[in-house]
Amino acid sequence: MANEEVQKTLAELSRDLQESKARLEEAQRVAHVGHWEWDLETDVVVWSDETYRIFGLRPQERPMDLATVRAMVHPEDRESLYRGVDEDLVAGVRPDAEFRIVRPNGEVRTVHSVTPKRWSSMPGDAKGDASGRLYKLFGTVQDITERKRAEEALKQSQFYLREGQRLAHMGSWASSDLGIRWSDDLGIDWSEEVYKIYGLDPQNGPPSLEQYLAVVHPDDRASMAETIKVMHEQRCGCDVTKRIIRPDGAVRHVRCVGVPVFEDGVFKAFHGTTIDVTEHERLTQELRRERAYLTEAQSLTHTGSWACNLLTREIFHSSDENARLYGFDPSKGAIPFERFYNAILAEDEVALRAKLENAIREGADYDVEFRIRRADGAIRFLRGIGHHNPSQEIGEYVGITMDITERKRAEEEREKLRQLEADLAHTNRVNMMGELAAALAHEIRQPIAASITSANACLRWLARDPPDLERARAAAARIEQDGNRAADVINHLRSFYKKGAPPERGIVDLNDIIREMSALLRKEAVRHAIKIHSELHEDMPNVLADRVQLQQVFMNLMLNAIDAMKDTGGKLTISSRLTPEGQLIVSISDTGIGLPAENAERIFEAFHTTKPQGTGMGLAITRSIVEAHGGRVWATANQEAGATFHFTLAAKAEVDA
Amino acid sequence: MKSAAVPTVFIIDDDRGMRQAIHDLVESVGLRAESFGTGEEFLGTRHTGRPSCLVLDVRLPQMSGLDFQRRLTETGMPIPIIFITAHGDIPMSVRALKSGAVEFLTKPFRDQDLLDAIQQALGRDRIAQEQQAEIHDLHERYHGLTTREQEVLTLVVSGMLNKQIAFKIGASEATVKVHRGHVMQKMKAGSVVDLVRMADKLKLSPCK
Repeated sequence: MANEEVQKTLAELSRDLQESKARLEEAQRVAHVGHWEWDLETDVVVWSDETYRIFGLRPQERPMDLATVRAMVHPEDRESLYRGVDEDLVAGVRPDAEFRIVRPNGEVRTVHSVTPKRWSSMPGDAKGDASGRLYKLFGTVQDITERKRAEEALKQSQFYLREGQRLAHMGSWASSDLGIRWSDDLGIDWSEEVYKIYGLDPQNGPPSLEQYLAVVHPDDRASMAETIKVMHEQRCGCDVTKRIIRPDGAVRHVRCVGVPVFEDGVFKAFHGTTIDVTEHERLTQELRRERAYLTEAQSLTHTGSWACNLLTREIFHSSDENARLYGFDPSKGAIPFERFYNAILAEDEVALRAKLENAIREGADYDVEFRIRRADGAIRFLRGIGHHNPSQEIGEYVGITMDITERKRAEEEREKLRQLEADLAHTNRVNMMGELAAALAHEIRQPIAASITSANACLRWLARDPPDLERARAAAARIEQDGNRAADVINHLRSFYKKGAPPERGIVDLNDIIREMSALLRKEAVRHAIKIHSELHEDMPNVLADRVQLQQVFMNLMLNAIDAMKDTGGKLTISSRLTPEGQLIVSISDTGIGLPAENAERIFEAFHTTKPQGTGMGLAITRSIVEAHGGRVWATANQEAGATFHFTLAAKAEVDA
Repeated sequence: MKSAAVPTVFIIDDDRGMRQAIHDLVESVGLRAESFGTGEEFLGTRHTGRPSCLVLDVRLPQMSGLDFQRRLTETGMPIPIIFITAHGDIPMSVRALKSGAVEFLTKPFRDQDLLDAIQQALGRDRIAQEQQAEIHDLHERYHGLTTREQEVLTLVVSGMLNKQIAFKIGASEATVKVHRGHVMQKMKAGSVVDLVRMADKLKLSPCK
């Protein structure tokens, strides 16, 4: 070979070499791969330009040395890297490491460094001399930061997806074949969670159509097969919930949503999700059942529930029964607040509004009764209970509304009945006294008439000439007998109460009786425009008395007072007080016609009456009872108008038995 | 006519004291008294022919005095009644007086009021008894007549002349005159007018 040619060839080679080197440089730059050579003899490392760039250095600025590299390796990776490399070298394994470096500007990059294994024979590898001693190492460095990041991100999102699917009992699937060709093979890919949902082993791969349908509950199988067929034929999506029976026998509700994916108008595949909705289904059914129970309960008790803002008149919730209470049809959609409110009777609305406004202002709960005119015209009584939660907006209430019409009617009936009873008691009392008086009149009249007649006869015997003394004496004896007979009748009357109802004395709170009788006679009083007022001494000692008899005393005196005012109306005042001597004094005062001008002291006598319908027995009986209890009864005229009746009782009376 | 025997006052009152007192009062004025506790007891005794009256309490245990009054009238035992009562009222007294009661007294009454009423009742009874006795007497006389004489009497009081009677009974006028003489004598009638009055009391219906 001629030298010139050699020269030429060398020059060409040199040029080729330069070109190759330049291409290599370019290739390294594009691929982010650098290389290096380490002369173990001189401990000098030569770096390619790209290696500099990977490390964030400029090749011209300062040459890299091993210390620089070491310093730049991420502190966390440094030790493991060098130990690993040493171990590899000792073991004769090609060092291959991934590690992070920190660029001078602080940027962290991940690099992949490979030192080829067979370094003794191949150029570019670590080189040894003839003795086989290692004197040069060669390797590549690749910046794999971007790839690493992508990998990490993928790993992360896969993790999230898997976790998410696991947590949501939701799997995903894709089927490219279904919809393109119809075969037993669904051509489907299932995520791990789908296998779990179906209770199938992922090792066996996705099921065939037949296998798939076998898992579906027999009742849902036909419709599921149909769904898949339609999806295939029409390439349309699906959203079905069906039951499946897992191999272990558990029945689960599974919802399957699939959508066809098109690319440039060409069908590609079905993508979808599979969700285990068993819990959801169970809760839904439970909720539905609870709701049915609640609706039933509301309907049975005529109780509606609601939630609304009374200020903004916005209804958040209104149960069906709530609408029905007002005669509205709940199936015809939401009923605005105004329709409910306008049903309230005008005469009740004013008071109701005042109460509600007050409750809203105070942020308080409320409990109101009002009447409405129902859509069908019927008047109903409603009771509304509203609860305000302090954490809620002002005016926001949750509550119930009840139809209390029946209860109200029953109450009215009861009240009427009670009134009737009270009237009857009054009438009975008058009738009984009348009968008693008539009977007594007859009983007393007989002996008196007899004695008068006997006296007449006696006088006639004496007037004879000669006087018939024997017959006169006999007549006188009969006068005595009849006189005693009359006296017996009177005694009988005086002991009437003792005989009629043997006194049952017990500890009695007078104020208690006063309150009780006031309540009992209030209706009667109201009917005659009379106000009952009481001024009770708070610390009244108890008395030992017959409660029923004392009630009679109050009944008599209070009815008398009411009688005295029944044409004019007025005020009935009952007061109780305690004298320093320990005597209880009760006074019943009226503003009526007052005591009769004459014979005022005779009013307590039996049969003395100033009233057309009176029996004249009331005050006589009153006196008899009070005196039997060791007390006294008297009447005084009021300065202004009317009369006051007083009676005394001894505290814890030492009364005659 | 019978001479007036001592009149009897009957007393019915369930109240023993009252009953005894009235009984005694009645006796103190010299009248006979008989007293009973019940109406039944009174009905169980025979009435004598002498003048009597009844003092009756309105209120009796078994039967009211007013009902008892009606029963007496129905059984043909007319007796003047004085009602006494311990609790009379106006409607009750009106009803009693309408039914023929002599008086209605309210207990206690003035003794003189009762005695006056008793006298009035006895007087009424005496007259009634006299009338009863007279009718009894006339009946006896009437039954003392022969059948033909009774027939003639009936025709005479109907206002027929002897000739007409003779024609009617198919006898001679002289025979009729004889019958007629016997009738006037037996009936102790002074005139035809007397005879007519007697026939009226005997309630004889004139023949046609």
